[in-house]
Amino acid sequence: MKTNFKKIQSPDNKEPLEKPGLETEKELSQEEFEQYVINSGAKGSFMIYRDAKSKKDELGIAEL
Amino acid sequence: MNPNKDNENYANMLIEESMKKIHYQSYDNWICNFALNLEYIWKETSANELTLTDDKLVENQKSSAIVIGKGPSLKKFHHLELLRESDYNGTIICCDGALIDALKAGVTPEKFPNFLVATIDTDPGIKKFYDHELVKKHGQKIKGVFSILSHPSAVEQARQTGIKIHWVHSLFDYNEGKKSFNYISSLIIRSKNHPRGLPAIQTGGNVGTSSWFAAWMILKCSTVALIGINHGWEEDDSWDTITRHGLENNSTDIDRNSSSFQKLFPKVFNPDIGKYCILDPIFKFYSTALKEFISRSPSWLTTINATEGGSIFGNRIKSMPFAEFLKKY
Repeated sequence: MKTNFKKIQSPDNKEPLEKPGLETEKELSQEEFEQYVINSGAKGSFMIYRDAKSKKDELGIAEL
Repeated sequence: MNPNKDNENYANMLIEESMKKIHYQSYDNWICNFALNLEYIWKETSANELTLTDDKLVENQKSSAIVIGKGPSLKKFHHLELLRESDYNGTIICCDGALIDALKAGVTPEKFPNFLVATIDTDPGIKKFYDHELVKKHGQKIKGVFSILSHPSAVEQARQTGIKIHWVHSLFDYNEGKKSFNYISSLIIRSKNHPRGLPAIQTGGNVGTSSWFAAWMILKCSTVALIGINHGWEEDDSWDTITRHGLENNSTDIDRNSSSFQKLFPKVFNPDIGKYCILDPIFKFYSTALKEFISRSPSWLTTINATEGGSIFGNRIKSMPFAEFLKKY
């Protein structure tokens, strides 16, 4: 939301991957994620709306 | 049963729970935003006015929209210039942060008459996206989609440029029933001038995903193309930029040698474009949600990712170079 994409060129993230795949299998813990979001200052983001009783409403409601 | 998939779903659930917790830290501010917006919400228009009337709806369901985010591929592949030079005649939905760049590049409502801009963020900093002479120049021909929780100073800045405000709810707690803010605010809004209420959209956490939702859910466009929606970093972005989520004044203190670093910043391979991208936790949150919602979208909708980079690929997502999209649509 507050992202700016000013790029600083750096070659140091081009190390080859050990195992190419569609997506890494390692996942975040809740604590790691919260700490990062708080530290990053990017806390203005909206949460995802979930409704276990009406999954259809998760895609929006025409007239509320 | 796929244990890896289960783990991933569990991790995503934890991330969403965290975001919810962090999100609610600003809850009091949103309520103030809503209270200050209310007199305008009652006077101004619902985003449902952007939906065409029934006789034109069928025609629109064959039409397309381009959602413009502000990801780095926009400049890297000169997408705005390609769009300016095209004879595209569909809808443009510009994320607020990309508006000034789009206008500077000549992507204007004069050239593309059905031109919208969207804001869902509650932060007052959004005001700067509307504070520019080009926005003032073109504002009267731009339609704005604003969350009722948007900061009043940002909405007012947009209003002053002549942008016509169209209001939407941002869904976040409607599942909690009659005590939910979504429900209570809908009753307040319906009490005056809006008997049918407002459309409520899933935000997916960011304005890019919100704009994708607006394109098909409100405007009923049957094809939605994405440009500048990277939701990820490129391999030649510096770690400094990545770990700060691109925010220059951010102070993150992340040990790159720590065990959690790879989990926080995974590198993913996008098979559609044959390139890797690097996610940070925020982009992972956005990317996972957008991909899920695209996969669940109605069968009449086609989503084309013409960003040519980033992390948005997979089920129901058709990747295509933007130049090719412009030729076909």
